[in-house]
Amino acid sequence: MRKLGWTALAVVLLGACTQEAAEDAAGNGVADSGATTDAAGAEAPATQTVSTPDTVRGAEDSGEHGAEGAVHPPLDPYPSTYEPYASGATLITGATILTGAGERIDNGSVLLEGGKISAIGAAGAVDAPAGANTIDAAGKWVTPGVIDIHSHLGDYPSPSTASTSDGNEATAPNTAEVWTEHSVWPQDAGFTRALAGGITSMQVLPGSANLFGGRSVILKNVPSRTVQEMKFPGAPYGLKMACGENPKRVYGDKGGPSTRMGNFSHYRTAWIEASDYKKQWDDYWKAYAKWAEKDNAKDDAEDEGAEDAPEAPSRNLKLETLAGVLRGDIRVNMHCYRADEMVQVMDMGKEFGYKVSTFHHAIEAYKVADYLAENGVCAAMWADWWGFKLEAYDAVNENAALVDAQANSCAIIHSDSATGIQRLNQEAAKAMAAGWRIGLEIAPEDAITWITANPAKAMGVLDQTGTLEVGKMADVVIWNRNPFSVYAKAEQVFIDGAMMYDRSDPKRSPRMDFEIGQQDNQHTGGAGQ
Amino acid sequence: MNAMINKPIFAAIFSVFALSAAGNATAQSTTAIMNGEVHTAAGAVIKNGDVIIRDGVIVQVGADLIAPTGARVIDASGKVVTPGIFAPLSSIGLEEISLDEEANDAGPKRGDGFPLGAALDAVDAYRRTSTLIAINRAGGVTRALMAPDPGDSLFGGQGAVIDMSGGVNSVTKPRAAQIAMMGSGGASRAGGTRMGAWALMREYLDEARSYAANPNTYIRRNREERFALSDLKALGAVVSGGQPLIVYINGEADIRNLIRLKTEYNLRVIIAGGSEAWRVAKPLAAADIAVILDPMANLPSQFEDLGATLKNAARLNAAGVKIAFYNPPGFGAHNLRLLTQQAGNAVAEGLPYEAAIAALTINPAEMFGLDRRLGSIELGKAADIVIWDGDPLEVTTVPQVVFINGVRQNMDNRQAALLSRYRDLSRGALPLAYRGGE
Repeated sequence: MRKLGWTALAVVLLGACTQEAAEDAAGNGVADSGATTDAAGAEAPATQTVSTPDTVRGAEDSGEHGAEGAVHPPLDPYPSTYEPYASGATLITGATILTGAGERIDNGSVLLEGGKISAIGAAGAVDAPAGANTIDAAGKWVTPGVIDIHSHLGDYPSPSTASTSDGNEATAPNTAEVWTEHSVWPQDAGFTRALAGGITSMQVLPGSANLFGGRSVILKNVPSRTVQEMKFPGAPYGLKMACGENPKRVYGDKGGPSTRMGNFSHYRTAWIEASDYKKQWDDYWKAYAKWAEKDNAKDDAEDEGAEDAPEAPSRNLKLETLAGVLRGDIRVNMHCYRADEMVQVMDMGKEFGYKVSTFHHAIEAYKVADYLAENGVCAAMWADWWGFKLEAYDAVNENAALVDAQANSCAIIHSDSATGIQRLNQEAAKAMAAGWRIGLEIAPEDAITWITANPAKAMGVLDQTGTLEVGKMADVVIWNRNPFSVYAKAEQVFIDGAMMYDRSDPKRSPRMDFEIGQQDNQHTGGAGQ
Repeated sequence: MNAMINKPIFAAIFSVFALSAAGNATAQSTTAIMNGEVHTAAGAVIKNGDVIIRDGVIVQVGADLIAPTGARVIDASGKVVTPGIFAPLSSIGLEEISLDEEANDAGPKRGDGFPLGAALDAVDAYRRTSTLIAINRAGGVTRALMAPDPGDSLFGGQGAVIDMSGGVNSVTKPRAAQIAMMGSGGASRAGGTRMGAWALMREYLDEARSYAANPNTYIRRNREERFALSDLKALGAVVSGGQPLIVYINGEADIRNLIRLKTEYNLRVIIAGGSEAWRVAKPLAAADIAVILDPMANLPSQFEDLGATLKNAARLNAAGVKIAFYNPPGFGAHNLRLLTQQAGNAVAEGLPYEAAIAALTINPAEMFGLDRRLGSIELGKAADIVIWDGDPLEVTTVPQVVFINGVRQNMDNRQAALLSRYRDLSRGALPLAYRGGE
C-alpha cells in the first residue's frame, strides 16, 4: 500500500475501506465438522442428486432440510485438506503464560502433544513424557496463536499489482455469490510476515465496496500450495457486508445505491429474496420427505399411484449464501463505522432473523458499546487509525477499552493491513494502555483475548483454538518478552503443535515462491524480513 | 463541571486542561524541567537531567541545576524528556479527511487539465485549526513538514515547516522543500516508464536552469507550453541547490539514478520511501543523501520493493546515512503520533536507541536547514520539548507535557472531547449532545 503513488493514494484509502472488509455473522454453527461427511445419498435418484454430496451438515442441524435422497447443494465443495505437520511432544516451561481464557500463569508450563494442548499449569505441575522436546522459556511469554479476524492476505497480496488485485468483485452492489477462497493466492509473502508476528489463523475477507461482498474464508497460517490446504477444518463461512460510505461511493453513479437509505433498501430487498429462497428449499425438503414416506422412492413401487419426486428449486449462488446466513450457518461480518448505522443493522438482523457476528472497523463502537453488548455483537477495531474518510472521523484511542468495559462485551483488535497483521500485539497494547489512562483496569491476560479468544469466538472456531486450554489445537507463540511492548518479537510459533517459525533458525522460516531466486535478496527474506 | 461526569478521572482531565490554558498565558517566563531522563539528541543521555527554558529558548541543560527563582518548576523525576517530535514529511495542515475532496488539499489532480505542480505552495492551503494538529501535538509532535502530495503531477509543490501550536504564526519555514514522485509512481506520470520519468525530470531541471539564468530571454523565446513558468520559477530554488528536493523513490536502480542526478545538477536531495536504500547505503552516505523511511515496510509491495526489510533503518544508520521516519503514503497525516512506534520497531530491529531519537528530532531539523534552531535540547535552541510518562518509543507511553517554543501546549483535542462525552453512556437529564464542549 505504500508507495504506489498518488493515484494510489486514492486506491489505498479506498483500500482502507475497500480492503476493509466486512464481516459475518453469528450463526450457530456450522462448526460441527463431523456432520459434514454424511453423504447426501449415494442411493438417491441420479436425476435428483447434486454430484457432490459432501456436506449435509444441515441435515443433522435441522430436520427440515435433511430429507435423505433429496438434492442438497454442497455446503463445502472446496473442502479443507489441511493437515497439521508432524510434531513430537513439546514442553514449554518457565514462561509467563497468558492463556487467552483470562488467566495469567507466572512461571508456567504448557505441554503440546499430538498437535493439541495436553496440559497447562504451574511449571512444576506439568510433566513431560519421555522424549519430549523441552524449551526453557524462563523470562519469555507464551500466548495462544494470534488471530486476525480481518485480513486481505492472499486476495490483496504482495506484489500489489492490477494482476493480483483480487479482493473486491466491485461490479455490483450485491456480490454475495463470490467466495474469497477463489481469490486467495497462497503464495502471498504477507502470510510469512504475519507468521513472524505470531499469526496462526485469520479470516480473509472480500473488500467493502459492496453491500454484500461475498463469503470469507478462515485459514490456518501454514504455507501451502493450495488454499484448500490452508482452510481451517470445520470453520464456518462468513459473509462480508458493508455499511455506509463505500457502497454508495462505488455504486452511486452506477445505478445505486447512492445513499445510506438506498443501502438499506438493497439489503432488505436481498434478505426478502433470501427468505423466499430459503423457504423454497425448506418446502422442497419437506415435500420430498413426505414423498419419500409414501414409499414412492422405492424401486419396486408400482407404476400406478407412484408420484414423481418433488423437483428441487434451481440453485442461486447469491441467495444460497444469504440463506446460509438466515439458517445460522454463515456469520455476518459487517464493515460499519458509524454508531447509528450499527444499531440500525442490528435491527435489520432482527427483522430478518439473523445475527451480526462482528462489526468491523467499528470506529464509533464506543458510542453504542451498550447496544453491542446487549445484542452480543463483537466489534473489531483498530487501535488508533482514523480520519481517512468522514465516517472514520470520530475515532478515540479508548474505543476498544470502552467496548471491553461493558459486561458481556466482545472487543477485537483487527488489522485490515498486511503491515498491521504483523504486530497485532502492539495494536492491542496501545488500546490497552489507552484504557489504563481513563482508569480502566485491563491486565495483559485480558487484552490478549482481543487478538485470540474473541476473534476465535466471532469466527466460530473458539472450540478449536484461541485459548491455551487442554484439548485445543496447539497454536502457541513464544515471545521474547511481554508481548505488549514495541520491542517484543515472536520467537517461535507453533501451529497444531508443529513449530512453523523459529526466529533463530532460517530452516524454520518460510519463503514464498515469489521471493526466492531473486538476485541479491539473500540479505533479506524469510518470515522475519 | 457536568454533574453527570463524576468520576475522578474526569476531574483529572479537566484540571490538565486548566493548567494548559494557564501555561499559554505565561509564555514569556521561565520554566525549569527538573530531574528527568533527558535525551538531548545532542550527546549523552542525562540521567536526572534538568532543562531551563526562558522566553521560549533553552538556556541551561545539565544535571543538578538550580531552578531560577520564580521559575515554573516541573518535576520530571521518573519521566523521560526529549526534543519534540519533528515529522519530516506529511500532508498535515492540508488534509482533514483523506477521501473527502472538499477536506483534502494535499494532492492536486491533473485529470481535469490542471497544469501546475512545482509551483504549488503548501502555505496557501494551510489550515492551522485542523484537528489533526491538536491530536498529533498531544502525541508529542511539535514540528512537521507540511507537504503537498504529488497528486497526479511529477512535482507536488513546495512544503513548509510548521510548528504544531496551531497558532496564527505557526509557519516556521515556508518553501522548505520541493516534492517529486519518481520510481513506479513517477513512471505512471511520465508515459509509463522510469525512462520517461527521469527524462522528464531532467527536462524540468534544464528548463528551470535556463529560466533562472535569464528569465527575460527565456520568456521571449519559443518554448514548450507544458512547462509552466510558475513551475520553472519554483524549481529555481531546487536547481540553485538551496531547496531540498524530496523524491519518492524505492528501488535500488532509481536510487542510483538519483545519486547521479544530484551530482550532475548539484542538488540537495532527500529520499522518501527508500525501501531498497540499504542496498545503496554507502553511496548514499557519501553523497550526503538522507532517507525518510517507513521502518515497518518489509513487503515486496511492488517489484521495486523486493529488497524491503525491517533492517533498512539500522543498516542505513550504520553506514552513516541520516534517516527519519514517516507514515507512508496512504496513511494520510492523521497519525504522525505513531512515528515513535515506528522508531521503536526500528530499535527492535537493531537501530541504536539514540539514533532513533535523532531520527525523530534533530535529523529532520537538519534536512530542512533548521538544526541551528530546532531538533535537540541544547543551549539557544527553541524549546520544543516533550515530557513522556515512560520510554517514548514504547507503545504504552504517551506525552504528559508538550512545549513548543517554550510554551506549554494545550493537550485538549477533538478526540479527548469525544471521549469525555461518551465515557459514560447512561441516560442523563439531557442528551449526550449537551455534555462536553461547553
